[in-house]
Amino acid sequence: MTKYIIQRLIALIITLFLIMTIAFLVVRLMPGSFYDNQDLPETVIQAINAKYHFDKPLIVQYFYFIGNILHWDWGTSIAIQPNVPVFDLLKTRVPISLQINLISLFISIPIGIAAGSLAAIKKNTLVDHFISFMVVIFISVPSFIFATALQYFLAYKGGLFPIIYDAAAAMGTQKAMSMFLPVMALTFSPIARVTRYLRAELAETMNSEFLLLARTKGLTYRQAIMRHGMRNSFLPLANIIIPMFTNILGGSLVIERIFSIPGMGGMMIDSISVSDHSVTIAILMFYSFISLVTMLIVDISYGIIDPRIRVGGRK
Amino acid sequence: MNDDKKLLEVKDLAVSFNTFSGSVKAVRSISFDLNRGETLAIVGESGSGKSVTIKSLLGILTGNATIESGEIRYNGDDLLKYSESDFYKIRGKKISLIFQDPFSALNPIMKIGKQITEALILSNNMNKEDSKKRALELMEIVGISEPELRYDQYPFQFSGGMRQRIVIAIALASDPEILICDEPTTALDVTIQAKILKQIKKIKNERDLSVIFITHDLGVVANMADRICVMYAGKIVEYGTCDEIFYEPAHPYTWALLSSMPDLETREKLFSISGTPPNMLFPPKGDAFAQRNKYAMAIDFEEEPPFFKLSETHYAATWLLHEYAPKVEMPEILAKRLARMKEEGGTSE
Repeated sequence: MTKYIIQRLIALIITLFLIMTIAFLVVRLMPGSFYDNQDLPETVIQAINAKYHFDKPLIVQYFYFIGNILHWDWGTSIAIQPNVPVFDLLKTRVPISLQINLISLFISIPIGIAAGSLAAIKKNTLVDHFISFMVVIFISVPSFIFATALQYFLAYKGGLFPIIYDAAAAMGTQKAMSMFLPVMALTFSPIARVTRYLRAELAETMNSEFLLLARTKGLTYRQAIMRHGMRNSFLPLANIIIPMFTNILGGSLVIERIFSIPGMGGMMIDSISVSDHSVTIAILMFYSFISLVTMLIVDISYGIIDPRIRVGGRK
Repeated sequence: MNDDKKLLEVKDLAVSFNTFSGSVKAVRSISFDLNRGETLAIVGESGSGKSVTIKSLLGILTGNATIESGEIRYNGDDLLKYSESDFYKIRGKKISLIFQDPFSALNPIMKIGKQITEALILSNNMNKEDSKKRALELMEIVGISEPELRYDQYPFQFSGGMRQRIVIAIALASDPEILICDEPTTALDVTIQAKILKQIKKIKNERDLSVIFITHDLGVVANMADRICVMYAGKIVEYGTCDEIFYEPAHPYTWALLSSMPDLETREKLFSISGTPPNMLFPPKGDAFAQRNKYAMAIDFEEEPPFFKLSETHYAATWLLHEYAPKVEMPEILAKRLARMKEEGGTSE
């Protein structure tokens, strides 16, 4: 197991390096530059070029970039907040995004599990059909549509919630109210995913022989489903829940924009439009890192929660 | 026959399944009884309704099944009138089931020990230590070596035969009166089959169990059964003691089944029953076996034969036994074999 984890960590570092290279090239080769639409004197441009090595060939710039990163220097922002180190910029934004995303994840899992189990146990009844219908809607309609709809009906027409996120408010009711709509918009799709997955898993487990055996050996229907059905269906659920976090992160890029949340998403879009390259690359790296780590967690967690791998692999 | 010897009595049981294409008549009015301490074998090919019959005994039929008629008398109660919570009181505790496929019958991610003790703790209110002691005892009884070590292992660490032993241990956990074996050896190697059968027989004798043994393989029941019911297309076509079925079979279907069983002397091509069983969406008129029966008479296609009594314990449902029917002898291949078996003074295995 230790050997396996080390192997995976090495692979993770290599992958990150590749992503870094690709991100650097793609971002740098984008048309447009920081100087566009700005009336800067030639001397200033030259000074900036010299400072950030923009006058060197791309390959040389690349080595500067790698060298800096090895010293944990992610560069400085030149457009969004000039002269602020990118890492400090991220430090203020990441917690806000993570907060919204983690709350959405933790809300969607129990709801999804409840709805999925209900649909599986009441399979092919009205309840199941209704849940499945909602699942299709929640999965196929993108989250930003829900976001705008919620914003319009609940916040603008209904006046129940603030229209945009209140970044200034301290932790409390006011903050919670302003977070409600973005979190809600972000939960729809994960709830639907968990529901659909669990329904399929549990329905299959409920048809299994071992569930029948659990009943014939003297367990009630309820005990059999709880002890054998649920437990067994949760196992494969683990490997969709962890990557779902990455999914929510992706969805929140747009949602943050809609609700004016000062998180990573808004900053990423801004940094691209004003050609603040080091910020874009840093955010890309952050997202890549999160997805790679979640994948690693999935793989390792399998070895821990599934006895067939845990015990079988030990030998 | 003394009535209080009868432990379980099935009368006119009929079960059908609602499917998209119509109602499938899986079991069509069958009756049999199980005496205390005996082994009753129900023999028939796939789809003859054996498994459906025993699933109705335990109340574990799937949702689309309807019990059309009949009653199942156990301890004076009609099991068919039982609610789910009534069944809870007899499942595992009075009537236990051994499954056909040990590979899918055990929960793959639960420790073996827990799977045995679970029912004891939950429904017999036994405490942890007692139930563990009992589980280890049971594992010993069913022939698992090193039960202490095995107790904490998972099903994937067991071979097929070992798993079936665990399934048997689970079935025995709450000391049932009736043990139903649903083709317990079908999924296993032939060498393991013999061992498992021996084990079941031994346990049966030691604990004075009554056993219902479901199989499609007459060879398997030869050494086990006291009485045999032969089922075809949802009906019992012949029943009698083990010797009567093996030495004096009267129904053409039983003849065919026996002829299709190889023995050590078999030199010629093995007999096979031509055709396929009838589609139970549309049960045939008359004798269901008539289409595949070379001895079929005109009446077989018109009217269902009643049971004809051959002896106090032996009945067969075929018009061939009617007093007006032409005298028909069993196939030569079978007659020869029976003669040989009688000479050797034992049933073949």
